[in-house]
Amino acid sequence: MNPITPYRVRIRFAKLEGLRFIGHLDLQRLFERALNRTGLPLRYRQGFSPKIRLNLASALPLGFVSSAEVLDFWLNCPVELEEIKKSLQESLPKDIQIIDIEEIDNKRPSLQASLRSSVYRITIPISYAQEELIRGFNGLISKETIPFIRRKKTVDIKPMIESYQIEITPEASVLTLQMSSTAENNGRPDELLSFIKVDPADVIIERIQLIFEE
Amino acid sequence: MTIIDKKVLDKILYHVEKPGRYVGGEHNMVLKDWDSCSTRVALAFPDLYDLGQANLGLAILYEIINDRPHILAERVFSPWHDMEDAMRSQKIPLFALESKRPVIDFDILGITLPYESIYTNVLNLLDLAGMPLHASERDESYPLVIAGGQACFNPEPMTDFIDAFVIGDGEDVIFEIIDAYQLWKKQNLDKLSLLLALAKIAGVYVPSLYDVTYFVDGTIKSVDPKNESVPKQVHKRIAPQLPPPIKRQIVPNIQIVHDRIAVEIMRGCTRGCRFCHAGIVNRPVRQRKVADVLEAIDSGVKATGYEELSLLSLSSSDHTEILDMSKAVYDQNKGRRLSVSLPSLRIESFSVDLMDELKDLKPGGGFTIAPEAATDRMRAIINKPLDDKILFETVETIFNHGWLNLKMYYMIGLPDERMEDLEAILETAQKVLQIGRRLRGNRVRVHVSIGTFIPKPHTPFQWATSEDPLSIQEKINFLRDGMHQAKIKLSYNRPDSTLLEAWLSRGDRRLGKVIEKAWQLGAKFDAWDEGFIKEYWYAAFQECGVDPHFYTNRERELDETFPWDHISTGVFKDFLLEDYQMSLRGETRQDCRDGCYACGILDCFAQVRPSNEDVYWGCP
Repeated sequence: MNPITPYRVRIRFAKLEGLRFIGHLDLQRLFERALNRTGLPLRYRQGFSPKIRLNLASALPLGFVSSAEVLDFWLNCPVELEEIKKSLQESLPKDIQIIDIEEIDNKRPSLQASLRSSVYRITIPISYAQEELIRGFNGLISKETIPFIRRKKTVDIKPMIESYQIEITPEASVLTLQMSSTAENNGRPDELLSFIKVDPADVIIERIQLIFEE
Repeated sequence: MTIIDKKVLDKILYHVEKPGRYVGGEHNMVLKDWDSCSTRVALAFPDLYDLGQANLGLAILYEIINDRPHILAERVFSPWHDMEDAMRSQKIPLFALESKRPVIDFDILGITLPYESIYTNVLNLLDLAGMPLHASERDESYPLVIAGGQACFNPEPMTDFIDAFVIGDGEDVIFEIIDAYQLWKKQNLDKLSLLLALAKIAGVYVPSLYDVTYFVDGTIKSVDPKNESVPKQVHKRIAPQLPPPIKRQIVPNIQIVHDRIAVEIMRGCTRGCRFCHAGIVNRPVRQRKVADVLEAIDSGVKATGYEELSLLSLSSSDHTEILDMSKAVYDQNKGRRLSVSLPSLRIESFSVDLMDELKDLKPGGGFTIAPEAATDRMRAIINKPLDDKILFETVETIFNHGWLNLKMYYMIGLPDERMEDLEAILETAQKVLQIGRRLRGNRVRVHVSIGTFIPKPHTPFQWATSEDPLSIQEKINFLRDGMHQAKIKLSYNRPDSTLLEAWLSRGDRRLGKVIEKAWQLGAKFDAWDEGFIKEYWYAAFQECGVDPHFYTNRERELDETFPWDHISTGVFKDFLLEDYQMSLRGETRQDCRDGCYACGILDCFAQVRPSNEDVYWGCP
């Protein structure tokens, strides 16, 4: 057992384009190594082969970028937050940018447990006709159910869509979607794209907000 | 050409498996300014990133080239089938991970050839880069194509495709090549002038400057330089003293094989096992001092954040300071969460003591030993003597000291192998399992891994023949059934893929067209179990009118000129022959660090042997 009260630190960070093809488990390993390089007094999990104690709020699908990811990690003693931010940022690849950092009460629930929803911004190039996109999307959203086959199981995406907005600019069509992000109902915006005949490889999907339960 | 269009690339990356292989951007990657560098080198490993990124040779070259101003090195790997299809259909040429520039924009393409079953991938790599396969069809507008690595000690099968080979350690030669290249570029001369300049560098072999003639029976009559400025024989280069360990090892963003810090503690081996290619071609033994190893570990951990480390050599037990090293490594790292593996240990209780010195730093999992043969007769033939009593004592110690999994390496298809040799492998493994069960109960697992002997160039067994794959398969079946009954896990290579490795490692220049044909038919990723398709190769041999058996199953005369005889490892052919004849008589030769048998190394490298007492060579 570790007698010292751990110091819980939360960062919000952006995952930029250069790392969009690095998946969730790889990102976790990337943070373990980056934290290791800082020389900070890291807290480890208990167990046979202990790992650094860290916690990512939500897996960001491969290919997505984000300006709103959240990570908790624990230290064995308090360290000046600005100092942590500086040394961790120096040790991270440039495509991870720390936005802010704060201390979190140990009693607060885990990130995964309190995550409710995510907001995504999907930027669709104008090579996709804009009126057709609007028509297609409105048609889709007015349906009772949107069945989608996920790993051989049919799920209904409709109830996962919490709110949406379409914005048309001369440069692109921008679809903003709030979807549920819980273990039971994890909405994937790229799954909607096939219904409006958009290849997810043609668009940029950015997670712009994570919404937690207060 | 310019940088690959990012939009087009991202679009195909979205749909391929493990796109992280193709994007670079890792910690410690070096991206230099293209325009401020006068010479740009693309370092290629012709297989997947997942395999190639761990290659220590390439990592060393990458770092030492990028450490110098005005030159740069970037990395290139083979794309997997899905990515290759997408690249071909989108007309994306092969590119380097750092700048995403096409390979064809570089000045020099350096390809590593660590093993022979990678050859078709080299052709595929050149083709994806948009370059003619044949060196003779590439004029000065194309990058200079050089190759290095362990397979280059017999470069002949690849001579159609490669402009120049580096024989031996590449750390010094690479800069001599770059210097020659820069001088040539300034003079604005033709490609032949560059090749002639390269041929003057010690350790560089330019195959197009040699003629090969054959006897009617197909064996080689002679290999002669076309020009008097070209050496008759090319001697390998060595780094007289091990270069400093890598300071900034790249930390991959995706999981790869050997995903850990690698610290080379010794190069070369004095044991003289007669089947071992690495043991001959990497002579002499050069070892790293304990203090330097410790420094490398410390800086490696800080620079990478890895929690795993491997101390590399061909025979760790033979490092003269290995016990002190183990103790010091423990003391240095006991406060850290670092797992340290120390592979390639001799079969003796001392090896277990060494591992014990690492205490809680040693990785969980198994202990590995490599007896290679199970009878005293065969051990004498291959010159790897081992007393069964010591083997079983060691095994007891291993189990008593906490290990539950034991892996044992054996070799089959060795010269003059008999049924009793195979039965002995089975019996030994059974006895080892019994010992384990007696000491630690049913949790003990024994895993036997069988390699098939290949009479490799430059070894005392280069005169031996390869056994027919059908009879190898029968031997494997015998062991498989026996081990299965005894509840011992057995792993082995497919006899056909061993045969391919044998053809390619013993090949001559006539094999170039066979390799090309096999590639045209579809052969690539031959090193992968699921990639290797033997039919392509049989068809290629047939279409080219080349007899594959000539390279593997033929009895060889003792005075035959081998395709690789003009490449010198520093070891005399006479020495190898004497050793082969000792083998035929069942005689062993002891480790040469206590008494020199004049293999040739000291004659060849007398000039470069450091007089500095701090630098340890294994030669007496």
